[in-house]
Amino acid sequence: MSTTAASLDALAAARQERPATLAEATEALRRADRDGERLLFLGGGTELSLGAPPVGVEVVLGTEQLERIVEHAPLDQIVIVEAGVRLASLQEALAREGQMLALDAPWASRATLGGLVATNAFGPRRTRYGSIRDLIIGISIVRADGTEARGGGKVVKNVAGFDLPKLMVGSLGTLGFISTITFRLHPRPETTRTVLFPDLDADTVRRVVLALRAAQLEPAAAAALVHEGGDDLGVRFDGRFELGVRFEGFEAGVRQQAMKLLELATRKGWAAESLGAETARAFWARHDDARESPAGFRAKLAAQSMDLERVANAAIGSLFTALEVPRCVCYPTLGLAFVAGEVRVPGQVAAAVTAARDALPQGSVVLQAASPEVRAAVDVWGPPPGALPLMRAVKERLDPKRRLAPGRFVGGL
Amino acid sequence: MSAPSLVTPAAPAAAPIPAPPSVVDRLIAVVGDRNVIRDPVDLRTYECDGLTSFRAAPSVVVLPASTEEVAAVVRIAVGAGMPIVPRGAGTGLSGGALPVPGCVLVGLSRMKRILEIDLDNGWIRVQPGVINLDVSKEISAAGYYYAPDPSSQSVCTIGGNVAENSGGAHCLKYGFTVNHARGVRMVTATGEVVDIGGPVLDPPGYDLLGVVVGSEGTLGIVTEVVLRILRKPECTRTFFATFPSTDEGGVCVSEIIGAGIVPAAIEMMDRLAIKAAVAATGVDWPDVGAALLMDVDGCTAEAEHTAAVAVAIARRSGALEVRVPKDDDERMLMWKGRKSAFGAMGRLAPNYIVQDGVIPRKDIARVLAEIARLSQERGLRVANVFHAGDGNLHPLVLYDAKVPGQEHAAEELGGEILRLCIRYGGSITGEHGVGADKAPYMAEMFSDADLDTMAKVRCAFDPGTTFNPSKVFPTPRLCGDRPGPYRPHATEVAGLADRG
Repeated sequence: MSTTAASLDALAAARQERPATLAEATEALRRADRDGERLLFLGGGTELSLGAPPVGVEVVLGTEQLERIVEHAPLDQIVIVEAGVRLASLQEALAREGQMLALDAPWASRATLGGLVATNAFGPRRTRYGSIRDLIIGISIVRADGTEARGGGKVVKNVAGFDLPKLMVGSLGTLGFISTITFRLHPRPETTRTVLFPDLDADTVRRVVLALRAAQLEPAAAAALVHEGGDDLGVRFDGRFELGVRFEGFEAGVRQQAMKLLELATRKGWAAESLGAETARAFWARHDDARESPAGFRAKLAAQSMDLERVANAAIGSLFTALEVPRCVCYPTLGLAFVAGEVRVPGQVAAAVTAARDALPQGSVVLQAASPEVRAAVDVWGPPPGALPLMRAVKERLDPKRRLAPGRFVGGL
Repeated sequence: MSAPSLVTPAAPAAAPIPAPPSVVDRLIAVVGDRNVIRDPVDLRTYECDGLTSFRAAPSVVVLPASTEEVAAVVRIAVGAGMPIVPRGAGTGLSGGALPVPGCVLVGLSRMKRILEIDLDNGWIRVQPGVINLDVSKEISAAGYYYAPDPSSQSVCTIGGNVAENSGGAHCLKYGFTVNHARGVRMVTATGEVVDIGGPVLDPPGYDLLGVVVGSEGTLGIVTEVVLRILRKPECTRTFFATFPSTDEGGVCVSEIIGAGIVPAAIEMMDRLAIKAAVAATGVDWPDVGAALLMDVDGCTAEAEHTAAVAVAIARRSGALEVRVPKDDDERMLMWKGRKSAFGAMGRLAPNYIVQDGVIPRKDIARVLAEIARLSQERGLRVANVFHAGDGNLHPLVLYDAKVPGQEHAAEELGGEILRLCIRYGGSITGEHGVGADKAPYMAEMFSDADLDTMAKVRCAFDPGTTFNPSKVFPTPRLCGDRPGPYRPHATEVAGLADRG
């Protein structure tokens, strides 16, 4: 039986290749094709636990030396990067021109853009700017057979040909090797302000989301953390959240929106405060900790945004009971949440996962990290999607010999 | 690089290849007699879309009313070996709905119901024949709208928008159809019905939705769409500025973007386009070299701040005049002037070709100068109306088809403009699609390997190339043998991964 640990050992045993140029990367793929070797692509290594453990990997192709920013055109608000560029170093370079990639995914100092695209990672800014699929405008890949191909372009508006960039987003390295990526950029906001609701139940979080929209407020980020009402035994989920709503933009607009939200909260009788720079940083640091601290188990929950109460009752609550040092981040405008912690009794965690899936039939519960025992008990991906036959057909066309991260993706692809 | 066979620009279509009677009978059994159009005279209605210079007659037109009927029609056509061309309102400008000789044309105009509205979760489920603007109308009273706004939005359909990944003036800030479609129900080449995506974000699996949107009817027939809907912004501020030439206008656009402003829309028109808009709508725009029309929106304080900054930039960049509409009516009139610019070209010349190339924004002035030079060389007038914020040009090449050789010269000029866009690192189409019109240029924008990779994706969906053949790809591509039967993977055998 495969296990995460065993598969990581297997990865260590695989031949490690770290091409210094894109040409070398292509050459490595051609060689692997010739020799019939199976490949795993490695970026910053922050999300290796995603998906099922790939089987029989003989070569690990790392992108750490592919770290050039190929082109940054500030006037056109686009950037082209090699796959191994780290998110934090890209943001640093863009900031010099007053710009940013509107992607604030976890582990920014380690995570690479290639890996972030392959894993469809996101952070709180998704609230306003969308996810990677809304930011990516071009890609170049190397197919399993060593063919270099490109899709999209370097202008934001472009409908020529099929959208290969989006197809690669979240494909976990099972369709091709990402060599360069082109993103659209946004101006860095002049200022930001966070309004905190320190103690809300799930239904009130939902009502705040509706009220934000009714008041035509446009937050850049909204995140709910599980309220720390725990005792000495650790955090217990008592159904309550602290909700941070951040506005970004020009000073006048940010100030007006924060004021409006505070007035609205007063009217509705919800406790809320506008945070100073220091306390705002502390809230978002708590958010980052909850997303980034190492965890033996992590699940991504997806439901409709108005279903938050059901997510809280049926999924977060039971997972919190089953996990040690549990933590949770919800993005209530998106209907997405992450629950992480350590596995104590695998059967209990697996049962909580199954219960959560049953409670969210239209949504999904995907295990992003899990112990071998939990993986053995429940499929990390959950029930196969209806479009699996089409997905399988796409995989067969692009990687007919099943040599790219075999078995890692949905449905064993 | 030849156009599809039997299709000759501006020539009347050849007589339709009649559909076999047995096929017609089976189609009638599915959708009823009146929804199977096969009279050669009636078929002429369908022989082109908004790109009227390309024409071909379908063998038969079928107008299904439900997903089940579409699936049955697909099975009949596939069984008879007939190609299938889907069609919405037929407003497309690239020949995406141009029939392929011998095809079954599936018109989705009868599927125009709004199926479900969920304001709290921010989505609406519609059939493909629903008119774009009707989506916003349906939810407007509740304070919501659907963002993509192609100029044809009062007549074009959501199904067509999904096929073409339509944009519009406001996609600079809000994105295209692909950023607003959350899910589709689609009939595949096997006549099966599959749901891709849905109201909930991040469904596990490949982002097939991202591929289907903008696939120009080559992957299947979409019969339902879940669209994201947005709360209307609190405030929109508009201004109109005139400039001596597009040079100053282009500088103004770059400076506004450089100031960290993301306008909801920023449109430019040159002298000829301004004239056409004036002639068509009676807006009192002066005879100047260029005009900018810009929207900023958001919360009131932000919109007012950014509008004030943008106006100051316009003046600094050499604006002759800056006008701020005094009320919503005046604002709507300004936008009407802009949106009617295409249709207004009929007042300047008997015929025109509209292109849809995209260039990096910083090169606008240089590319416009080159277009002007080409225009002079060819002796044909070119009007420019474009989405300046994202570098999406819409050069309109004016000509008179009755003058021998002019149509050909206009097409050549249009082609040279596309090549110019490619040379500057742009695209041959920003929102109209490749269709039949620009398929030959795909090979200039993409390498063989790029196109081969896209073709593999197409083959995954439609190995028999049943749907809309001869579109998008410059040369016909066969899928060849499927790469062998499915072999279960070790993880599946071990029971670790369930194929379902």
